[in-house]
Amino acid sequence: MINVILIFPIVACILMALIKKRAFDCAMVNVYALLHIVSTTLLALNIGRENNIPYFTVDNTNLIFLIILSLVFFMVAIYNTGYTKTLDYPDKKIGHYSFMIMVFVLAMTGTILSSNLGIAWIFVEATTLSSAYLIYFNKTKHSIEAAWKYVFICSIGIALAFVGIIFLNIAQGNINTLDFAQLYKNALLFDPFWLKLSFVFMLFGFGTKMGLAPVHFWLPDAHSEAPSPISALLSATLLNSAFLVIVRVFKVLDIAQCDAWARTMLLITGFVSLFVTAVFVYHIKNYKRMLAYSSIENMGILAIGTALGGAALYAVILHLIGHSLAKASFFLTSGNVLELFNTKRIKSVRGLMEADKKTGWLWIFSFLAICAFPTSVLFISEFIMIKTMIIEKHYLLCALFVILLTIVLWGIGRVVIKTTFDKLSEDKVQSVQENKKKLCACMFIPQAIMLIIVFVLGVYIPPFLNSIINCATAGF
Amino acid sequence: MENGFIILFGLTMLYLAATSRLVAHIRLLVVQGILLFLICACNFEHQHALNIAFLTVETLIVKSIVIPWFLFKVVKKTHANRDIGANIPHFYCLVTASIILIAGFLVSNYFTGSSTMKMISPIYFGVSIATIIISLWLITIKHKIISNVIEFITMENGIFLLSLSVAKEMPVLVNMGVLLDVFIAIYILGLFVNEINREFNDLEVSNLSDLKDYNND
Repeated sequence: MINVILIFPIVACILMALIKKRAFDCAMVNVYALLHIVSTTLLALNIGRENNIPYFTVDNTNLIFLIILSLVFFMVAIYNTGYTKTLDYPDKKIGHYSFMIMVFVLAMTGTILSSNLGIAWIFVEATTLSSAYLIYFNKTKHSIEAAWKYVFICSIGIALAFVGIIFLNIAQGNINTLDFAQLYKNALLFDPFWLKLSFVFMLFGFGTKMGLAPVHFWLPDAHSEAPSPISALLSATLLNSAFLVIVRVFKVLDIAQCDAWARTMLLITGFVSLFVTAVFVYHIKNYKRMLAYSSIENMGILAIGTALGGAALYAVILHLIGHSLAKASFFLTSGNVLELFNTKRIKSVRGLMEADKKTGWLWIFSFLAICAFPTSVLFISEFIMIKTMIIEKHYLLCALFVILLTIVLWGIGRVVIKTTFDKLSEDKVQSVQENKKKLCACMFIPQAIMLIIVFVLGVYIPPFLNSIINCATAGF
Repeated sequence: MENGFIILFGLTMLYLAATSRLVAHIRLLVVQGILLFLICACNFEHQHALNIAFLTVETLIVKSIVIPWFLFKVVKKTHANRDIGANIPHFYCLVTASIILIAGFLVSNYFTGSSTMKMISPIYFGVSIATIIISLWLITIKHKIISNVIEFITMENGIFLLSLSVAKEMPVLVNMGVLLDVFIAIYILGLFVNEINREFNDLEVSNLSDLKDYNND
């Protein structure tokens, strides 16, 4: 099954390069999305896990990441079908766009499935390179700035992560391996000093891709300038795959009993991420940037949860699921808002509910999901984290956590309420009505499905998902 | 012999810090590529044939021919000549770079005492760390985006030297993937340099500062 999801896009890309038909290109993305989700379901049911290509494997830890990737990609592919119809670019450009989406998803799948740190590094860098074109897709001055910063900052970050891998090699002494299973097995023999040093480099290197502050600078620019389906993929899946690599390296330190150091580092970056979001979300002028900052905040929460350990790990996985689905839905809906109003400025968007009821409600519910309003699954995850902090007697951290989250909530909530419930200005009514005709059903259904999943998971987690989550926590 | 090449490699970074002509910087990349090949060549007797072939292709062909040739083309196309107006005068750049280089030697000598450092030669380690730091620092002070690309490549060269210093072989597949990624990254950055030149008519970094949150519009 793994072979199918890794080899199909390569074949499809070759076919796309040969055939060069717009309809075929768009169809291929959908076929891949379907194939991805079917293969992942079979893998989750424990079918076809053997006979993999070397260096790739499905284990307890990466299964949940793979499921999230498949689900989000499937939903984004549905949305994308409607989205590409609204674009009036030449067929060739749409062909390139579909081609790069395939490569991008392939690179993310490769990162998640790789069982070797070196291979994971290669695929993380490949995600940067393949998504650069997607961010530059609109070819404006702003998008080139965003794409340049994205490629340059992430490449430097990833290069530093490679320094971390070399230090890990030094820490190993006479052993020479980058295979995760071997690393876990031999972790106790590693030299603690070099291991800690390598973790710092890898945390900041892969943390650059994950969007942890203070190395998050590319994130708001790239997310706001990319087309909305790409923003959804970036936020809901790319950040997760970088997080998986950090989790795997963290596990090595945990086994080698250097985890106190690693936990401190994760806690610091996590709280800095929350702080940065709280500061910037206050002054925000562009609603897509606001969502990007919210991603930084949620990555910070994941880092904090990982650092806390214990019961918080279950919360981390729940948060991962909830954030990916809710944020993907939020970004896709922001695509609808952009389509209606033709601007990303918060000031110019007023009366969303009046302009389009469906988009308005999706906007509100995406906000409720992301701000952890019960029964959003994020409520459960954040609740468990706060409970863990209180049980472990980190009262100060807990207070800081709650205060920062409240500030972020206020910042986002203010914008969402203003944009939704104000009056639609009269000079815009006509253009909005015109633009509304472009929105088709497949630009609403994916968000609705994802939001239903988020709100249902808050009250009922099916037993099979529960067992997958419990298995995954063992990998932290 | 090997140490001599490594020290020469360190000195190239001082040259990079002290000059402003972009063509000279690209020629320096050629020199660095050849030096890296010579450093590898000193250890060839201990390695597999496959690894030797790979290292030769990486250092001699990619690092000293393909990448510089590509950058020459970019410079010609964009008519970029000098990176003038760096934030810090050249003399101070030279002094700071020298201090970083010396600090690299001192730090690596300090660590040679510990047991795990036995397999790493201090001179390798010191020069490569100093190269990485000098490159990162130069990226922050230069004004042209094409110089940023050049310094990104010297940083990659420093990391390559560091990986040689560990004297352990990574799987060839990993090495090849790393090379491919770095090469494509440089290729994409080069294409973006052309695009930025077309869009803004020059290559100043300050053009790329429009996206921010605290502006007054």
